[in-house]
Amino acid sequence: MTRRALVEAVRGAAQRVIAAPGGLGVSLAFYLVIVGVLSGLWRVAVENNGGDLAGYSAVALTWYIITSESATVAIHARLIADIGDDIGSGAIAVELLRPASVLGLRVAAEVGRTLPKLAVLWAAGGLLATIVAGAPPRPVALLLAAPSLVLAVVANLIAQHAVAGAAFWLRDAGSAWFLYLKAVFIMGGMIIPLELLPNGLQRFSLFLPFRAMAYAPARLAAGYIEPELLLQQLAWIAVLSVLAVAVFSAGERRLQVVGG
Amino acid sequence: MRGLWATLRNAFAEAAAKPAALAAQMFVMVANDFVWVIFWVLFFDRVGDIGGWDRDRILLLQAVLTAAGGVSLGIFANARRIGMMAVGGELDAVLSLPVPPLSHVLVRRIEPINMGDLAFGVVLFAVVGNPTPQRTAIFVAVVLASAVLLTSFLVLTGALAFFLGRSESGELGFHAMLLLGAYPVDVFAGAVKVLLFTVVPAAFVAAVPARLIDDFDLVRAGELVAIAALFAMAASATFTVGLRRYTSGSVWTRA
Repeated sequence: MTRRALVEAVRGAAQRVIAAPGGLGVSLAFYLVIVGVLSGLWRVAVENNGGDLAGYSAVALTWYIITSESATVAIHARLIADIGDDIGSGAIAVELLRPASVLGLRVAAEVGRTLPKLAVLWAAGGLLATIVAGAPPRPVALLLAAPSLVLAVVANLIAQHAVAGAAFWLRDAGSAWFLYLKAVFIMGGMIIPLELLPNGLQRFSLFLPFRAMAYAPARLAAGYIEPELLLQQLAWIAVLSVLAVAVFSAGERRLQVVGG
Repeated sequence: MRGLWATLRNAFAEAAAKPAALAAQMFVMVANDFVWVIFWVLFFDRVGDIGGWDRDRILLLQAVLTAAGGVSLGIFANARRIGMMAVGGELDAVLSLPVPPLSHVLVRRIEPINMGDLAFGVVLFAVVGNPTPQRTAIFVAVVLASAVLLTSFLVLTGALAFFLGRSESGELGFHAMLLLGAYPVDVFAGAVKVLLFTVVPAAFVAAVPARLIDDFDLVRAGELVAIAALFAMAASATFTVGLRRYTSGSVWTRA
């Protein structure tokens, strides 16, 4: 598969999202409601605890939430179910005829579909955070948070394809997306910073990929300059890629045997 | 009325026809709801009471919200799809029947996964709600009122699609209501709090009912019933007026 095919998949999907701003507007409204409420809750919690919760101030937690939510809301929520439907119905068989990796092109298209949303959501979230809480605790940390956000989205999309690949055997990814999203909620630090989890749960989250999908960019945006988080994300992307390729390779062989 | 009961019975029979699938989907939703319980337990254990809300009261709120959500999204499953059906021209089948269209559409389909919400809400109340006979009676009453309000709000926002030509308003209303309803309302102040009691009446879906179970007040109960009735009338009127603008999509579904 050529790099050009992947780049075109990203660009084409991004252009389709930009050409239909209505959908973008709905996502933005939904996102602003979520971050407005959730960050408001955390600010009250911080004030009730003397202005500090596990090292996070009210401003830092607001920037944490607007970043963690943008990394997840930007992604199509039912992606796992949709991929499962395509596999279960055999529709994916058509894609096997192309001289390119089904997984590679699908992930690239989803990245393209997600990036414009991510940019709009994070920018709007940053504006909201500045208005309701204050400027970012350490603006320079945002320079690390921006690439970390992209890595978070890539890690998440690859992981979702790996999970949805179960449909090659089960014929349906069912409601797996519900459980997957909830894992990102808590173990990924999407709605609660990992430092606020009990010690056992916090240690357990170290061994799971979900922290790469929300916690890493959010921690950086909260003002913690920890470049090693980006390295952790890259490592998880490598691991998840190997897993997704293995699942799709085995699944595609099975699909061809069954006949699609 | 008999026709509606028969339709509802058929919808239940349809969902129960695949018991393994029903159980699996209900389990997924129970697991999903349990994550929220974990979050709130972690949150209140870490930050203590907020605005008169503690762990027990927020779990009571979750019990009301999931039970009412189960009734609304599980038993009246099409409430969430009104906007899509309006825009997609999928109401032809129901319009040819000698039944009230909105009532028929609402009872036509059961959503198995959301029946898990109902089961979870009832079990959660039994476990953490200190279920005396009096509290149980109030729980049942407020869950029904809350379900009427939630269903009406979904129909109202969905029926706006007849006028707007797009179905996103219903989906946005659904997410806004469930999301905002899950939070302790007293945490918020100013415009957000006004919003929660008026345009998006999320406070009446869970926070007010939960408070009624702990501390019953006739005036507040009357407000809950009144707001549920108001939204039910508004939803029915909007759907009825909207039907005049309905355009068939030549899609013959079971609606």
